[in-house]
This record gives sequence, structure tokens and C-alpha cells, in this order.
Amino acid sequence: MRKRINWGYLGSLAISVLLAFAIGAVILLAAGFNPLEAYAAMINGAFSNARHIGDFLEYAMVLCLTGLACVLGSRVGIFNVGGEGQLLLGAVVGCQVGVWLAGQSSWIVIPAAALAAMAVGGLYALIPGWLKVKVKVNEVITTIMLNTIAASLCQYLAKGPWKNPNKNMVAATAQLDPRYWFKTLIPGSGLSTAIIAAVVITLLTWYVMQKTSTGYEMKLTGQNPRFAFFSGIKTDKIVIVCMVLSGAMCGLVGMFRVYGVEHLYRSSISNQYYFEGLTVAMIAQYNPVTVIFLSFFFAVLKIGAQGMELSAGVPNQIYLIIQTVIIFFMAAESGIFSSIRAGAQRKKARADIRRKESESHV
Amino acid sequence: MDEIAVRFSHVSMAFPGVLANDDVTLDIKKGEVFALVGENGAGKSTLMNVLYGINTPTDGKVYISGREVTDFNPKTAISMGVGMVHQHFMLVPSFTVAQNIVLSREPRRGRVFFDNAAAERMTRQLVEEYGLEVDPSVPVEELSVGLQQRVEILKTLFRGAETLILDEPTAVLTPQETDELFAVIRRVVRERNMTVIIITHKLYEVLAISDRVGVMRKGQLVGVRNTADVDEQTLASMMVGRPVLYDQLEKTGTPGEEMIRVEDLTVRDNRGLVAVDGLNLGVRAGEVLGIAAIEGNGQSELIEAITGMRRPESGRITICGRDATGLSPGDIRALGLAHVPEDRLATGVSRDATVTENLLTGKQRQKQFNRFGFHQRTSTIERYARELYEKFDIRGAGTDVTAGDLSGGNMQKVVIAREFSFDCPVLIIAQPTRGVDVGAIEFIHSQIIDRRNHGCAILLCSADLDEVFRLSDRIITLYEGRITGEFSGGFSKDEIGLCMTGSRREKEAVS
Repeated sequence: MRKRINWGYLGSLAISVLLAFAIGAVILLAAGFNPLEAYAAMINGAFSNARHIGDFLEYAMVLCLTGLACVLGSRVGIFNVGGEGQLLLGAVVGCQVGVWLAGQSSWIVIPAAALAAMAVGGLYALIPGWLKVKVKVNEVITTIMLNTIAASLCQYLAKGPWKNPNKNMVAATAQLDPRYWFKTLIPGSGLSTAIIAAVVITLLTWYVMQKTSTGYEMKLTGQNPRFAFFSGIKTDKIVIVCMVLSGAMCGLVGMFRVYGVEHLYRSSISNQYYFEGLTVAMIAQYNPVTVIFLSFFFAVLKIGAQGMELSAGVPNQIYLIIQTVIIFFMAAESGIFSSIRAGAQRKKARADIRRKESESHV
Repeated sequence: MDEIAVRFSHVSMAFPGVLANDDVTLDIKKGEVFALVGENGAGKSTLMNVLYGINTPTDGKVYISGREVTDFNPKTAISMGVGMVHQHFMLVPSFTVAQNIVLSREPRRGRVFFDNAAAERMTRQLVEEYGLEVDPSVPVEELSVGLQQRVEILKTLFRGAETLILDEPTAVLTPQETDELFAVIRRVVRERNMTVIIITHKLYEVLAISDRVGVMRKGQLVGVRNTADVDEQTLASMMVGRPVLYDQLEKTGTPGEEMIRVEDLTVRDNRGLVAVDGLNLGVRAGEVLGIAAIEGNGQSELIEAITGMRRPESGRITICGRDATGLSPGDIRALGLAHVPEDRLATGVSRDATVTENLLTGKQRQKQFNRFGFHQRTSTIERYARELYEKFDIRGAGTDVTAGDLSGGNMQKVVIAREFSFDCPVLIIAQPTRGVDVGAIEFIHSQIIDRRNHGCAILLCSADLDEVFRLSDRIITLYEGRITGEFSGGFSKDEIGLCMTGSRREKEAVS
């Protein structure tokens, strides 16, 4: 029960990060940049001024919520790759609800938009969840394909029925009335009051997963579904509910992006943000606490890399290289360790036999 | 002197926590049919997997045609003339017979393109040479199981096998297909001077087909006999072993009300075949009903149906007087049933969860373990787990390690501790001591009898016949999903053994 810190994991993570920066440095050198200057510019880019700090916190929030949405599914053994679609649908529907309810009090509009975004994201996740549980259709394939459908559907809505009345806006919905916008906490940045809701949701998710009987049942279901079912847990129900919640959370992130930053729907509302969150969740090995911390780390990297591009002229793709190398080493790590462990086990078994034999000769 | 096809010299094979082969020394002669028999887990398949190079032995040497095997992998074994037909066929269903047979040694046209015509020609040649009739151009998925097996045999012949290992070849065959298979075996032995090693636990098949028979028990080779010199009873007692001397278990009390009732139950297995065939049984409070059966005769499916892990096809199951047919395991547990499953790794524990979490499973919703119905009371849970850990004498690095870090025997104690502490009136126990060391067996047995004496109705199923004899008040034998015998009082091992192999039923049918 007691949480033990997994030093092996932290060690591998630290080594992977260092190696990633080292490889990044080699590439920077080869491209004719001074890696130390570039990395300094990166740190600077994230923290040099309030606007950057705001952007990095907003991005950390998105990574954290999408990462936790992914963890919510993976915990119970269903891999939600469809968060991007759920996010986009949440954004477009949440936005349109605000447009339809224009004139109402923001105390009505914002909860209604949030609920609608969650409902549409959750329902969209219900499709692959239900198919997985009832008909054993692989959720990875269905969610990926549903992403494309959702993106096209949102694009259609933004260009067609819900199009912005302004002729110059080609693929965007109507803008929200400014009184519904989330208050910006740091002027000029994307950081809005949405972060307060995000903190609450993060804490709640962490609490349910780590401290409650439900979280415990979720964990067992993900670890060994047959055992969970055998012990009396309604595994089908848990899987479907978690998948729906994962989708709802993604929908809500979309709504936060609209009400906090963009104030209307267009496809740039999310630049594959769910996949970035999913990456964080994978590197965190689906541990919710680790997801929270890593969200900040990767947000610094990403926003810093953008700053670095402006100040030092280094292409921000270096961020992608570093991120990819970390994933590469984290994935290789489990393979390396398990082969070391298997070797040790064989050795031990042999030694046991020898000992037994020598004892029986005595 | 006879030529030796295969020689095992002091071969031992250890898996974590189990010694699957213990110092096995055995010569198999060229041109003989050698049968390897033994109960489940006796180490027959492990030994053959060593020969086929799937397992690298922890100790000892293996010689094939006089040459020592230095590199254990199937490729080497095949090149040294060993072929193996597994219980589960390794064929590509959508490929034709010819394509499956030449797989990995495909004839090519211009070094690149697969030459289907040549493949079919080669297969036809092989078919004629050995007289194993099968159409090379038919996709394997359209063939019956018996013919698929024939394709497997042809495949090994195509690869130049001189020694053929058949792992429980008749388990999936109808009696007619079995007869055909035996004819094939006789032909390849007689005409090609091949060596055939056949793993089985059907004793009458041993008598029908083999020249010599080796009996394995608990990883050791306990004897090799000429088939002509033995009968089924001798083999059965060799397989089971002399009665082990245990302390006498004290059984008290008289059976009470009927707690488990199974009526006309029919269950299908994963392949859709009838595994339990219109079965009826009842277990009363304070009674242990033992099931004696060779693996694959429906006992697993019967237990899965009773405990809700598998939906029955038809029939009725009553637990504690309430209808439990087709309910989920959770709902059946709520009626008062606890279950020690046969496969602890797949079903009995979560290896990645801690010992504490594994001990808690099933009780997480009980009031004492959470506040307001959701917040886990961590310290209460930890205290409870430590109590069970002590009481059931679990030995490991404490309750905080993952269950996967425990040895097999201690993992089993975790399962027993959890299931027995539900304090249920009905217990279903399968393979309670598989892979468990002697001391722990003694402890688990006394716990089972303790539950019985407290008025629990217990259905026990074990591949270890000694265990069934020792613990049961009554014993039923299952063969092909039907009850072939029921015994109470003084059990006769020989008679039960015969019922288990189905030979008794045939006699009854005659008389």
C-alpha cells in the first residue's frame, strides 16, 4: 500500500534526459550552434518574462490534463489514442453553446459549455470503449480513425453551419462574447482562470486514482483484468466509465482552449496537443503523479524552444529531437533491464540446483 | 546393441520456484515408439522441450544420434533430425497445406519469388512417399483437426526429421482419427526406421502403440518398462506413486445441507466443444467432494461455470439455495462462494500489485476498509494484511513487495489466505498445491480440512491424486465431461485410475 519511490525509474529517467540533451548537443554542434548557448536560451525562453511563464503554465496545464486523460484509460487497460478528436469536438461544441446562449449570464453559459464539451467528448469516447468491451475491437485502431472523423467534422462545422459571420474568417466559428472569456491571469499570455479548474481536476483525479477503493479497482483491472473479474469487480463497467471520463476530460481541455485563449473555434485550437500529453503519460509510465511533474518539464522545453528560436535562431525542432530521444531510451530501458533480470534468474536457478545436489551428497 | 537415437544424461531443468526436470537419464532407441507418461506437471513436456531446444537445461547433457547438443534452439534440433508436433498446432490457417509444409524452406523461382507449383509438387511427393493422404492445395483452415495434425507431421518429415516428438497428439482427436494417427506412426517406424516419442496420459494408448514406456512423476523419471511387461494398473500406480505418508488429518462433524447443486450442466470450452456434458452433482456443508480427472476432461470448465468465469450452455447451478446460473463472479461471490483458481498467475493474483493489495482484493468495499464508502483506510488495510501474512505463514520480503516477487508456493498462500478469509459457506478449490513445496502443502491441507470441519462445503479439484484421496470425503471421476464413477469411504486407487482413463465406462457399456 505504502507508496515507495521507484528509484530505478527515476534513475532511468534522469539518464535518458541527460542522454537526450547530450545527443541534442551533438546535433546542435553539427548544425553549427553552440549547444550551451542554445540550452541557456531555452531556459531563458521559458522564464525570461511573465508572458513566457504564463504560456508555459498554460501549456503545462494542457499537457497535464491530456496526460491524465490518457492515464485514466491506460490504468484500466484501454489505450485512448482518440483524445485529439474528443478535444476538438469538445472545443467546437463548447464554443457553439456559448454562441447560442449569447446574452445569458456567464454563470449559466460557462457551466453549460463545460458540460456540453464533456458530454460530447465522453460520448465520442464511449464508441471505442463500448466496442472494445462488447465486441473486443482493438481500441487503438478505432480511436485513431475516430480522430480523423472528428477533425473533419469540426472543420465542416467551422466552415459550414457554425461559420463565423465575418467573410474573412474562412474556417472558424463565431467569436464568443468577451464577457464569457476566462480572465487572463498574466496579460499577453494564454494563462487564464482555467488553470484553477485544472488544478482541482488534477487533484481530484490523483485522489480518486491513488486513495480510493475505486482507484484501487481501476488499478487491478488494468494490471490483470481476469483477476479483477474473478475477484468480483465489474471490469466491463469500469473500463467503459474510465474511457468516457477520459474523453470528457479531453473535451473539457478543448473548451478551456476556446474560453481561455482562442475565444472561437478553429483547427489551430489544438496542435496535436493530446498526442503530446499521451507522450508525457507514456514517459511517466502512466503514473499520475509523474505525469504532473513531467508536464511542467516538457512545457518548459517546448515554450523554451520557441524562445530559443527567436533569441538564438536555433530551430525549435530540437525540442522534438530531445523528446523523441527520451522516449527512445525510456522504451529501451525496460528491455535492457528485463534481459539483465532474466539472466540473473537463470544463474540463481542453476546455483540452487548445484546447492541441492551438494547437500544431497553430504 | 541397439542404436541410440536420443540420450538424456542427468538433465535438470529449473524454472523459478520449480524443478520441472530432476536429474533425468534416459536412452531412446532408434526405430522404437517410446511413450512418456505422467500426471500434469510431471515434467514430460519440459523434457521434450529440452530435446527440441525450446528449453536450455539447467544441468546435464543431451545427445542426438550420439552427438552432444551444445546449442539449445529449435533450429539446431531440427538440423539434428528432431521434429516436434505440439499440442497446439503451429500452422498458418490461411496458407495451403503445401505452403505450410515448405514454410521456411520455400522453393523459389529466380531466388525471389515463391514457387507454388514446386511446393505442391514437393508436397505431393512427400505424401506419396509416406502414404499420408492429404490434398496439398487446400488451405489448412478447411481441414479437420486430424488432417491438420497430419500436415504438422508432414512438415517435420519435410525438414528431415528422424526423431518425431508428439505432444499429447490424441488430446484433440476423435477415436477414429486416433486410430489413423496410430497407423501413420506404425508406418513411419516400420518403413522409415523413425523414432517416435509420444507424450500422453491416456494409458490404453500407451499399451496400444508403444514399444517402451517411461513414467515421470514430479520431475523425475521413476521407471522405464517394456510395454509388453506392464498393464494399465501398474502404470497408474507408477504415475501416482506410492501413498505418501502424511500425518492423519482429523475430520470431524457430519455433512449438513446441500450447498452446491449442479443439474444437467453443459459447458463448452474455448474451441466451442462440449467440455462438460449434462453433469449433475451436489456438495453438502462440512464435506469435501474431490474431482479426480486427467486434465482436459471438463473439470476446469465445470469449475469456471460454477464460479461465473464461464457462461454455461445449459443446466442449472445453485449456490446456498440460490440460483447462480450465468451470474458474474462478483454476484456469485455475494451468494457466499470463495474460489481458489487453478491458474494462480493468470487468475489468482495481480503480480504487479503488492501483497497487501492482493490480500485485500474482494474486500475493498467492506466498511472496515474504507471511510464514507470510498476513502481507503490505509493503516487498517495494512494491519489486516500483516495479520493474514502472519496467520498463513507467507514467507517473503513483507507485505509491501509485489506479489510477483514471491515464490510460487507463497503466492499460492496469498491466494489461499485471501479466499479462505472470506469465511464463505462454499469453497471451490482447484490445484491448491500445484508447484508448492512439501511443507506448504501440509499447511494448505490442514487449512482446507479446518474449513471443512467448520462446516464449509468444498469442491476440490487437483491433478495430484494423493491430494484428492487425502482430503476428500467423496470422489467423483470425470472423463470427457461426464461422471464415470463415484466413490466414498475406502478409495481404491486402481479403480479410480481406471475410471479416470475412461476404460471403466467402456466396460460398463459392454456389461
